[in-house]
Amino acid sequence: MNAFDKLLRQLNLTPAGVLGLAVLAVLPFIPPFNQEYLIRWLIAAALIAAGAIAFDFTAGFINIVNFGFYAILGLGGYTSAILSVNVGLTPWIGVFIGAAAAGVLGFLTGLLTLRLRGIFAAVMAWFVGLALMGLATKMVWLTRGPLGLRTPRLFDTASNIPYYYLILLLMLVTYIICSRVVASKVGIAFKAIGQNMDAAKTSGINPTYYRIINFTLSCTLAGLLGGFYAHYYGILTPDIMHTSKTVEVLAVAYIGGRGSLWGGAAIAFPFILAMELVRSGLSNLPGLNLILYGLLLILVMIYYPGGFAKFFDAYIRHPKNRALNYFLNGASVRT
Amino acid sequence: MNILETKQLTKRFGGLVAVNEVSMHVEEGEIVGLIGPNGAGKTTLLNAIAGLNPPTSGRVFLAGKETTGLPPDRMCRLGLSRTFQIPNPFPKMTVLETVNCATIFGNRKGAVSDVAAHSRKMLAFVEFPMPADTVSEQLNTVQLKRLDLARALASKPRLLFLDEVASGLSEGELTDIMAVIRKIRESGVTILMVEHIMQLIMNLCDRLVCIQFGTKIAEGPTQEVARDPKVTEAYLGAEADQCTAE
Amino acid sequence: MSDRFIRWCRSAAGVTILLSILLAVIATIDRGPYILVNTAITGGMLALVAVGLALLLGVMNVASFVHGEYFMIGTLVAYYVFTPLQNFLNTNPSPLLAMVAPLIAILAAAVAGAAAGALTEIMVFAPMRRRSRENWVMNSFLLTVGLAVLLINGHLLIFGADFKGIVRYWAGAPVTIMDVFISRDRLFAFLLSIIVILAFWVFMKTTRTGRAIRAVSQDETGSLMVGINLSAILIFTMALGCSLAAVAGASLLFLYPSYPTVGLEALYMAWFIVILVGLGNIIGALTGGFMVALLKVLTVEYIGSGWDFVVPTALIILVLIFKPSGIFGSEVRGVLDQ
Ligand SMILES: Nc1ncnc2c1ncn2[C@@H]1O[C@H](COP(=O)(O)OP(=O)(O)OP(=O)(O)O)[C@@H](O)[C@H]1O
Ligand SMILES: [Mg+2]
Repeated sequence: MNAFDKLLRQLNLTPAGVLGLAVLAVLPFIPPFNQEYLIRWLIAAALIAAGAIAFDFTAGFINIVNFGFYAILGLGGYTSAILSVNVGLTPWIGVFIGAAAAGVLGFLTGLLTLRLRGIFAAVMAWFVGLALMGLATKMVWLTRGPLGLRTPRLFDTASNIPYYYLILLLMLVTYIICSRVVASKVGIAFKAIGQNMDAAKTSGINPTYYRIINFTLSCTLAGLLGGFYAHYYGILTPDIMHTSKTVEVLAVAYIGGRGSLWGGAAIAFPFILAMELVRSGLSNLPGLNLILYGLLLILVMIYYPGGFAKFFDAYIRHPKNRALNYFLNGASVRT
Repeated sequence: MNILETKQLTKRFGGLVAVNEVSMHVEEGEIVGLIGPNGAGKTTLLNAIAGLNPPTSGRVFLAGKETTGLPPDRMCRLGLSRTFQIPNPFPKMTVLETVNCATIFGNRKGAVSDVAAHSRKMLAFVEFPMPADTVSEQLNTVQLKRLDLARALASKPRLLFLDEVASGLSEGELTDIMAVIRKIRESGVTILMVEHIMQLIMNLCDRLVCIQFGTKIAEGPTQEVARDPKVTEAYLGAEADQCTAE
Repeated sequence: MSDRFIRWCRSAAGVTILLSILLAVIATIDRGPYILVNTAITGGMLALVAVGLALLLGVMNVASFVHGEYFMIGTLVAYYVFTPLQNFLNTNPSPLLAMVAPLIAILAAAVAGAAAGALTEIMVFAPMRRRSRENWVMNSFLLTVGLAVLLINGHLLIFGADFKGIVRYWAGAPVTIMDVFISRDRLFAFLLSIIVILAFWVFMKTTRTGRAIRAVSQDETGSLMVGINLSAILIFTMALGCSLAAVAGASLLFLYPSYPTVGLEALYMAWFIVILVGLGNIIGALTGGFMVALLKVLTVEYIGSGWDFVVPTALIILVLIFKPSGIFGSEVRGVLDQ
């Protein structure tokens, strides 16, 4: 195994993944993607992709849908925004404090949903999200409510390109952190409690402990993304915490394939671009893009609950051709 | 020494008393059979001891130390393992990964140096018939029971609960599983087994505990309990009920 | 008897119910009887939505995220049935038609809700059940999420985002009860919810179908063995549950005009109730409807509108910390079965 392969293995990337990232990296210079509005779409897609990874870290492994995901992401954003507006803290530090705040709330939500199973933990997380959004709407003196909080931006430029690279980096970091945890012993415990709680407990796994680790980490990452959101769009309204936002990442994560981490990220780009295209191209038909969303989610759930990643693993992942196999899987583990 | 002792253990589900003041003990090195008609509360008793469904009242002692109400993962690390009546370990994991879970989390940190090797040893010990990279959801019930047994053994228990490991097995498979259970006992593990199959009980168990409607009705050496009129009546009565129901 | 009553009072259910009544009385003395009136109206309708949700949970094992959309369908159908009738009435006054027009609208909504529910079961849940029951609860939940997105945006696409509301169903002066003026619409909504709840209760307790539904909710395999036609029961349950939500939506059209996301609030209120009282607990859902309504009314009254998001949620979180199985836990569950 050469140094390149070793590095890839450490980062849980495949040559195909690296190629994908490279394409994304040069995309803003290739027509038609070099137009600002398309770069904005790409940023939106990368944000969803990163969110889908952090979301899948919970949904796809411990099998709990964090329905308050965007509310917690919003908490990260608001924390950072308020610190920079009221205290004058630079957003570059604020986003980390925001992430920490989101992590703390994730920890508490994890505690709260401990005794609830699967779907009811999801509903509980949803309530936490609703309460948070209610707070953001009503604490006008702090958040300016629906009027929106103007936030300082991260970069001193009108160009979107620096933001694009930042969010790509965030996406990559999110992926590497999540995939490394999942590949460790902790990840085995996640999968075990997600697949059979009783068998996991009797095998010596303490579900409380691992559930809280999972929630805390996923929410911390969400909070970080929230910080990016706040200081990229330049304005923050309670809408960021809306359930429909969570539904968006949820759909991408599940259509992409639960428990894969990469699946949601991979389909987010074509998917979001197509959605935006429908939305802007057929603006006389509002909601059509979301109808397609809903339809796709329904079809996937009925006919292929494993999503794109499962399809990929079953039919594409293991080609006969050795070069192609290397491309899709990286060097095999022969040490 | 008593490796397990329960005192007036009771488990209620709402109004239903599924286990009613059961006091019993298991000595180190024994194989004890827990018998009783369907719905007697055998599985519930195991769950109450192992912490999956903590008891409403009563006390549990494991190797002399009180463990009442401890969560199952603690019990596992204290040396109590169990198999499930309807085994369905991690459906998306491979056989090896499934056993790895118990090897990693059921033992003290650093107690097992080579996780995969230990897990493979366990699979070989229970004579698991399929390749280790088979995904669990592709196994049939008999294979799942073997896998669950390997999983339970992987945490190196001192006391092992078996919940109907032999149900649904053919004659030949019965002989196999009996050999495996004997092997487990010889390796120094004490066994408490729930079983309906008489052949197995008579051949393996040193002592029997019989419960009916959650209450212990007999306890003692296998032959004695099997001849106890209360026990035969419990079984025959249940069968008579079934006959009239049909 | 009195012994049992005392024991009930000490249980979580008893404590919360008594506390709610006490709170309601205090607030009524403090602010006036309209508190009670508002609670009763919202409570009755919330109960209808929550009962439907509990029914789906108990019988079909579906944690529905789409239930509010049947409420939305109810508002929409009632609007499109009632508005033309009213326009017609404006040109040709007829006291009889004026009397029955609201009833026609609500009935149409009920039928549409039932049809939508039955269609959902036939076109979506049944195919899914046939394909695989693995991970059913989670997958069916995600399916309902997709369905909700579809229906909300379907409404947006076809009917637009504007508010489609009516001023009132019934003309005429408000009725006075206990010195409070109650609009005829509100009074009617309350009466209707009571009638529907009673009818539902009688249906579940006395009819063959009602008993079959209860049987399925307790033991699916067992009910198959005693010869219950499971797929018919599932379709019927879904139709019933959705119809209840649609009736609630239609009756409240004068309060909540129809727009794409009008069902969202109904949905999470229903979930509040269902989680608060304990899952799939149908009787609990009825009581819970009134308790959550009271909570909402009191919050708006004493803390301010908008906080009715925050305060009930905080309270429910507290309740669940101490009673994860809901306040009624297993005490009330199965009351229908005695
Ligand atoms: N989680 C539960 N909630 C309510 N009742 C339960 C629960 N688990 C078991 N019961 C009831 O407790 C009683 C005892 O059940 P249990 O499964 O312990 O019997 P068993 O002796 O293991 O029977 P079998 O031989 O059929 O396995 C039964 O009446 C059962 O319906
Ligand atoms: Mg049993």
